[in-house]
Amino acid sequence: MRKTKLFTFIILVIGGIVGLVFALGIAQFFYVTGGEKFCTMCHVMEPMGNAYKDDVHGGNNKVGFKAECVSCHLPHDNIAHYVYQKSVNGIVEGTLTLFGNPEKYDWQARRKEAKRYVYDDGCLHCHTDLKKISSDNMKSFLPHRDYFAKNINKTCVECHEHVGHKNLGFHLKAKFGDLNITK
Amino acid sequence: MLKKIVLALTCLVAFSFAESVGNVNLTKVMKVDRSLSPLAKKCVECHAEKTPGIVNDWKSSRHAHAGVSCMDCHAVPADSPMAIKKEHPKDSGNHVSILVSPKTCGKCHAKEVKEFEQSGHARGGVQMFAKKGMVELMYHYEGNGKPYENDAPFHAGDENLKDAPSATGCIQCHGLEIKLDKEGYPIPGKGWPNYGIGNAYPDGSVGSCKSCHSSHTFDMVEARKPSACASCHLGPDHPNIEIYNNSMHGKIYNAEGEKKWKWDSAPDTWDVPDYRAPTCATCHMSGIGDLNTTHNVSLRLKWNLWAPHSNLRTGGYETAADVYAKEGKVTVGVPLAGNPAGPEAARGEMKQVCKSCHSTKATESFFISADQHVMLYNTYHTEAKKMLDDLKAKKLLKKDEWSDAFQKVYYHLWHHEGRRMRMGAVMGAPDYAHWHGVFEVQQDIKELRNIYNARIKSGKIEE
Repeated sequence: MRKTKLFTFIILVIGGIVGLVFALGIAQFFYVTGGEKFCTMCHVMEPMGNAYKDDVHGGNNKVGFKAECVSCHLPHDNIAHYVYQKSVNGIVEGTLTLFGNPEKYDWQARRKEAKRYVYDDGCLHCHTDLKKISSDNMKSFLPHRDYFAKNINKTCVECHEHVGHKNLGFHLKAKFGDLNITK
Repeated sequence: MLKKIVLALTCLVAFSFAESVGNVNLTKVMKVDRSLSPLAKKCVECHAEKTPGIVNDWKSSRHAHAGVSCMDCHAVPADSPMAIKKEHPKDSGNHVSILVSPKTCGKCHAKEVKEFEQSGHARGGVQMFAKKGMVELMYHYEGNGKPYENDAPFHAGDENLKDAPSATGCIQCHGLEIKLDKEGYPIPGKGWPNYGIGNAYPDGSVGSCKSCHSSHTFDMVEARKPSACASCHLGPDHPNIEIYNNSMHGKIYNAEGEKKWKWDSAPDTWDVPDYRAPTCATCHMSGIGDLNTTHNVSLRLKWNLWAPHSNLRTGGYETAADVYAKEGKVTVGVPLAGNPAGPEAARGEMKQVCKSCHSTKATESFFISADQHVMLYNTYHTEAKKMLDDLKAKKLLKKDEWSDAFQKVYYHLWHHEGRRMRMGAVMGAPDYAHWHGVFEVQQDIKELRNIYNARIKSGKIEE
């Protein structure tokens, strides 16, 4: 009997260690594949990467702090949603890059759909005190009051439409030319 | 004694002169340091010299109190479709736009912009350019173009002058699709600058907040006064300010409004007894009793009274602004846009406004008379339209409607006399409902019958 108990205990410990290693491995994998280096491996993402590096959110600020691609482009409401969306994006974007033709997309037009690719809970994950402290700062409080009071149902990027990628229009034009510019 | 009076008068004149000069000087040395970024301060200080009028307006605005600076509305990313290509100020890395679209205003006033976009006002500019008849009138007939076929009396026109009528007239109230040159400035001679309420901007947004809240004070008090609406809603085709002045409401406002009424209560709280009679904004927009403030001026309207035929507003929300934002298309919009809950709900809301001063009986009775006049107009228009369609089928109309007696009278029947008759009735202006309205409509219909009968009898268009 004692042998069986010990065996169960050892199995649990080993299982725990194996599980932890796997979990850390996946976490590390998510971490490595969440930044600008990985995302711009696909050449079609070069303009987005370059515009991001010019932007405050891409490290072009006094302290060099930067948000990773997934900080904005993945949901941050809970870990299950995060992992689910990460997997969906991985499969869809991977397939399209390998078998589709993303060079032919109208990337300028896609900028108008930014709210589909940027999650408010991502913004608020970092700008966490915006709601709390904004009444001290009238200039920040007034524009965000209706948002937090839910008087409007706009997302962050509907007002901050150029956030994250400075002058993306120029970078897109340099890579894809005028053909993709609709307006 | 005379010497003393002359001396006193001289002093008085000198003082008043010094006062006005003093104001300008005060603006020129303006220094600000109040939660503004260094660049924003620079804008204010430099423009206090270059364009003192603009800075003067701004400094007496609520925006200035809240620390909203030039940059907050005019600075744009370099790759914005609205950006002026040159850096401003020089070598600052900053780009500005001379245009400020509702999208910019909507960053802080999102609810107001959304409501505006759902109203008929948002259609004002784009619908005009989506209508073939209007485009022909502006650019061809009024632009004095070459004749269509042989029956128009025009001499050959000058292509360079064809924009003049629309740029100085139509667009000033309606607005236009603003196009920029390579440097990022609006193209001169095409209708900019203007205060048009339906401007369509290169960033995809439609409308113009400054039509009513003129720049750069953006004053709520100004927008609440009838004069805010009157700069467009006047004249033979929609004499709304004249109608207001003819009404008892206008009489009371003109007698005491400026002196006695309280104009600056907060939105939703501006209600009786801040005033003793409503202004345009009170009935069509303000938060009265249980109603909330709205920037959708179509929301409390039962009928569409500007169209040739009066139809109930069953179209829900206006969509022209949405279509322009998504597809960049200029459309006629939804002429029957009104209250999404239907025309009776719209009328119900308007009655709530009336009832904050009038009894239920008085309110109901007023609208019964008004609706009867609207429906009476429709009987005239139905007959006129039937004659028009009949002549068209028999090819007895000139191609140039502006040199055709029948079509000219038909136009006046609905666009001038008919609108005065109907709008006069629903806004309580007896002179417009009757003498400028139904009296002239009945004269028109008789003239139309005469022309119609003559053409049918002879089978020809009279010379």
